[in-house]
Amino acid sequence: MAETTDTVIVGAGAAGLFLAARLAEAGERVTVLEAGPERSTQDLISSQIWARKLKWSGPAVEERGNHPVGHAFNAGSGTGGSAVHHYGVWLRLHKGDFTVASDHGVGLDWPFDYEELRPYYDRIQAEVGISGDAEQEIWRPEGAAYPMSPLPIFSQGRVIQKGFAAQGKRTAPLPLAINSRPYKGRASCLYDGWCDSGCPIGALANPLVTWLPRALKAGVTLVHDARVIRVERDVNNPEKIAKVKYLERGSEKTLRAARFIIAAFTVQTTRILLSSADGTTPAPGNRYDQLGRYLTSHPAGTIFGLFESETQPHLGVTGGQLVSHDDYDNKAAAGGFGSSQWIIANAIKPHDLLGYGTSRPDIVGPQVKPWLEKAAKHIGNMTLVIEDIARSENRITLSDSTDRDGIPLAHTYHDLSADLINRWDQRMAEGQAIFRAAGATDVWQGPRVPMHILGGTVMGRDEQSSVTDSFGRVHDTDNLFVAGPSLFPSTGAVNPTFTLTALADRQADHLIG
Amino acid sequence: MSLSRRRVLAGGGTALGTFFIGGHWVKATPKAARERGFTPQVLTATQCGALESVGDALVPGALLAGLAPFIDSQLALGSGSKLIAKYLGVDPLDQQGFYIALADNLITKLALPENTPEQLIGAMATDALTDWMGPPASYAFFVLRADALDVAYGTPEGFATLDIPYAAHIHPEPVW
Repeated sequence: MAETTDTVIVGAGAAGLFLAARLAEAGERVTVLEAGPERSTQDLISSQIWARKLKWSGPAVEERGNHPVGHAFNAGSGTGGSAVHHYGVWLRLHKGDFTVASDHGVGLDWPFDYEELRPYYDRIQAEVGISGDAEQEIWRPEGAAYPMSPLPIFSQGRVIQKGFAAQGKRTAPLPLAINSRPYKGRASCLYDGWCDSGCPIGALANPLVTWLPRALKAGVTLVHDARVIRVERDVNNPEKIAKVKYLERGSEKTLRAARFIIAAFTVQTTRILLSSADGTTPAPGNRYDQLGRYLTSHPAGTIFGLFESETQPHLGVTGGQLVSHDDYDNKAAAGGFGSSQWIIANAIKPHDLLGYGTSRPDIVGPQVKPWLEKAAKHIGNMTLVIEDIARSENRITLSDSTDRDGIPLAHTYHDLSADLINRWDQRMAEGQAIFRAAGATDVWQGPRVPMHILGGTVMGRDEQSSVTDSFGRVHDTDNLFVAGPSLFPSTGAVNPTFTLTALADRQADHLIG
Repeated sequence: MSLSRRRVLAGGGTALGTFFIGGHWVKATPKAARERGFTPQVLTATQCGALESVGDALVPGALLAGLAPFIDSQLALGSGSKLIAKYLGVDPLDQQGFYIALADNLITKLALPENTPEQLIGAMATDALTDWMGPPASYAFFVLRADALDVAYGTPEGFATLDIPYAAHIHPEPVW
């Protein structure tokens, strides 16, 4: 491998591999450093136990606050990053998500509006393929129609849909980056509910089947088990980064480049930048003490219920079958604060963290098997996602503890405000009512859990209140960029992979020129 | 639905772990490892016994499905452990200590004449135990119950007992 290249990208996840492909296709020499192991689709074994291999397996991340971010569950490891085990729920942010601070006096605004990102949403959606029905999503911001018709609605979805209708609420097919028909050489979905373990057939748009083949074809060099320690400034021009230091199977190595893009997912991206302070110069992006701030994570929760009719809960996809954004746009509605969405009728298994067996720890002993047998035929579930609001005190910092290589661990602190917790409580109570209206005979809910991790290196218009500009360039460093969800100034209440990919597409256009 | 496509994809799995049985390392399911008298690598036999007796009280069938060899073999993998504790705030490198402490707590409690495994799990669930050392008993209860669900119902065989079609894209190897 050459010791100098055009662009080094840290992280082979959704953003990193996408940018690698775009830049290499434009003629650049690109090297991607990935902390985890090499993976292929043949590693995506249909088992919730095996799937734990896909999750974060690097040094521990310390977590504090009233809503810890759940790094080990939300982060990934290896080729494709966390997007290998993402559920393919690809929704656009709403217009109001870009102007939270201006509209409500809390959180942060994006440095541009929805109209700026819209063409990138449209372009990525055509390239990846999304199955859905834009007309039924009456709350959806303007944009091109989806290229594929929706995935089918199975019994579970139809049963729960009745509860929404009874409560005067609307649903639409959930837009998914999962093929309802063969699309651009990728197979259509089999509806067997193994998305959570990674989709080896290529129906779900994980980076192993979307960006990786393009990146490799364009000549990208991919280095695995390469854990980045820090980037270092050019001694002759401190406004530039000269090299990256990393550990490859225990040996420290150096790589020089003209440009560096850190796309190592929220916590590790910030950890790398924080570790790059050099004693006389603050860490990149941290002259105004902004680096690591505005860490966010969606508060989520699951409603469960048992129905008289059979629901076939093993059928479908992990992400769900239907969506409701009826309450999304009125962030300041009484009862709390923040947008919310329901993703409805997730395919579900009897065990694992999100399984129905785990959801009822009160059922033990001889009652377990008959209860599981009933649930396997009659359970329904849906997931609430609540917006998080960026707060400066929610922050990623370096721990005083180090890993076995002497590298400081990342420390995270994340609190939810009372307004957001109230909104979560309010919507979960409404969710239980929806299930009862649908005819559920037994209704219960799971705990409040963190879903997705964002922020820490947020975009903004000035260095005093953000880490990067709108293209992800670190304010105080000419050739250092960030990509991925750590850039998000606000979260909305939607899953972030579509938006982070559209954002990376906009970055790529800017970098290629 | 395309069963032939699934068949084409089958066989990509690799062994989840191996067990030391009769002086040799062999691939076996946790169930077979228990039946054949596996030698634990991290836990003691007494600790294994405590975990599986309480785990079986939580989820009947977990003992015979191989709860103890499942936990012990995963702990032996260190950072590669696939135990659910990884998701619940117990870093894989800290899991050995977590389970040893849990097992030792159970051994102490089960030695008391008033405690059967069934009585013990009720007290664990509500943190009603005195002199419980380490992470809260209710947390340990949740983790051990989730492990028991994994080993008893988280496999193709477990799905079959619940009459759930497994319908794998890539089958996990039957030998763990």
